[in-house]
Amino acid sequence: MSTDQIASSPTAQGRHPQPAHRRFRLPDPTMTGLLLPSLVLLVVLNVYPLVFALRQSGRNGNLLQAGEFVGLENFSRVLSDDRFWHASVVTLVFTGVGVLGSAAVGLALALSFRAGMPGAKVLRMLLLLPWITPGVVAAATWQWLVSTPASPARSITRWLGMGDVLFLADPTLALVTLCVFRVWASFPFMLMMSSAALEAIDRELYEAARVDGAGTVQRFLHITWPLIRKPTYISLLLMTIFTVNDFGSVYLLTGGGPAGATVTLPVLSYLLVFREFLTGPGVAVAVLLSVTLIALSVLLHRMIKKVD
Amino acid sequence: MAPASVTTSAPTRPLAGRVRVSRHHTVGAWVRFAIITVFAVVTLVPVATVLLLAFHPSSSGTSSLQGWTLDAFRHVLTQTYIPRALVNSIAVSLVSTVLGVLVGAFGGYVVSRSRSRFIGAYSLSLFIIQALPLVVFIVPLFVLFARIALVDTLPGVVVVYVAAGISVTTWTMAAYYDSIPISLEEAAWVDGCNRLQGFLRIVLRNSLPGLLSASVFSFLLSWNDYLAATVFLRTDSVKTMPVAIQQFFQQEGADWASVMASAVLMVIPPLVFFLILGRRFSVGGITGSLAGR
Repeated sequence: MSTDQIASSPTAQGRHPQPAHRRFRLPDPTMTGLLLPSLVLLVVLNVYPLVFALRQSGRNGNLLQAGEFVGLENFSRVLSDDRFWHASVVTLVFTGVGVLGSAAVGLALALSFRAGMPGAKVLRMLLLLPWITPGVVAAATWQWLVSTPASPARSITRWLGMGDVLFLADPTLALVTLCVFRVWASFPFMLMMSSAALEAIDRELYEAARVDGAGTVQRFLHITWPLIRKPTYISLLLMTIFTVNDFGSVYLLTGGGPAGATVTLPVLSYLLVFREFLTGPGVAVAVLLSVTLIALSVLLHRMIKKVD
Repeated sequence: MAPASVTTSAPTRPLAGRVRVSRHHTVGAWVRFAIITVFAVVTLVPVATVLLLAFHPSSSGTSSLQGWTLDAFRHVLTQTYIPRALVNSIAVSLVSTVLGVLVGAFGGYVVSRSRSRFIGAYSLSLFIIQALPLVVFIVPLFVLFARIALVDTLPGVVVVYVAAGISVTTWTMAAYYDSIPISLEEAAWVDGCNRLQGFLRIVLRNSLPGLLSASVFSFLLSWNDYLAATVFLRTDSVKTMPVAIQQFFQQEGADWASVMASAVLMVIPPLVFFLILGRRFSVGGITGSLAGR
């Protein structure tokens, strides 16, 4: 009985010996049963809301009423609004600095730990703490550190003779603070990802290169980088998605302020829907952001698959 | 194949990090040590601040409590709804973790072992959904939940967290199953196990590290979430920790002693999680999973 089942099972070979071509066959009941819970959840809680959001973005309703169909009015309203473009620029800066900053710090740390140093284990554990710290806790502490009357950061700037710097009250400084905060919160993730990638490299490769007279930089460029390139791209892609969608950091640290200077697209969408009760435009912002992210991630996913 | 081989050939962590048994550290190693130590000290200032202000509230400049004291904890645990919020957070996170990991552990098996076109499309849609902002789901779910009385309830946010975590749990589990040789299951099938028994007895049993990684992700997702909590949870009695703490510090004349004492309470569970898992926790699985398909 069991051999029969294996032969007829559509997936008996698993992933390892890949079948020459994919064909549609009757689904295996066990596999269907195992997939069903996640499939149902996906359709009910992800696909359905997505379709619903598309519908809402074309109507002038609110949270309680569906409203009337207004075509693309919400989109044209959003696209001609300065706040939308300002939020787009802020999102780009926040994401760019956040992703590249945490990747640079994370990779540098991972390489240092990998190269061997005293106390590596303890330091590595300690450096994961910002990642474990819940966003609301981190945002509260940072707020206290930079913007309360007793705040140390302000005491330091006074002591340095720069006067009383209000980090979260100046539009540019607030964005800078936000970016630094994001790097602080997310470099541990990049450190873990890079460490995992580096751990997979055989140390003997380095020994061989050393014997051949390769220097540190050459060893990195010709051994390390080619081997960690793909996982690094993938972590960058994930990090980009996480950062664009990071509502908590922005909302909790600056609240989008001062005067809307640090509002990112997810925050703008939230404020429009839940503060200004402009559900249509708010959902339109979320839909525009989603479409961009889908295009971006599918494109990058394709590119990553082509690496090697 | 003998059943004993099932356990011995289960995937283990690479031992690469332990190859060097003893070697004197070079000058370069000490320089790295010095730089990273300084970096770590600066990085940990916010963490240290939480502890300082929680146990020495007068440093915050807003508290009347004097010296080193546990009064801030006494206050939040007896005078505020923090105990309730803590219980709510723990309940919500545990339930969403168990449900999310179960769903992911089942779905991940199909994603890992099946090569059908449908599963390829399914895997891609998981990838796309993971890329979308939570806010795009929140508004429709709010409308939907308002109809079925799930707004302002804890089950409501559990449902949101399970849905938000499907992608990551499924990938993490699929990546882990990929590392378990199919030959183990084939041996079990020959011995008379059906597909389900093979999955439960052979694959799932050997997937503890994968299950742990998926659990950490699910747990942190629901433990740390602010957006869904603030949208769906309105009444004090159902609020979770992020919303409760935020109320302390966004009000006029923030009560920093209470914020920091609650913050310490909120950091403990994830910290315990990490200390228990220690080295077994690995994030490598996600990249492996994404790279493979």
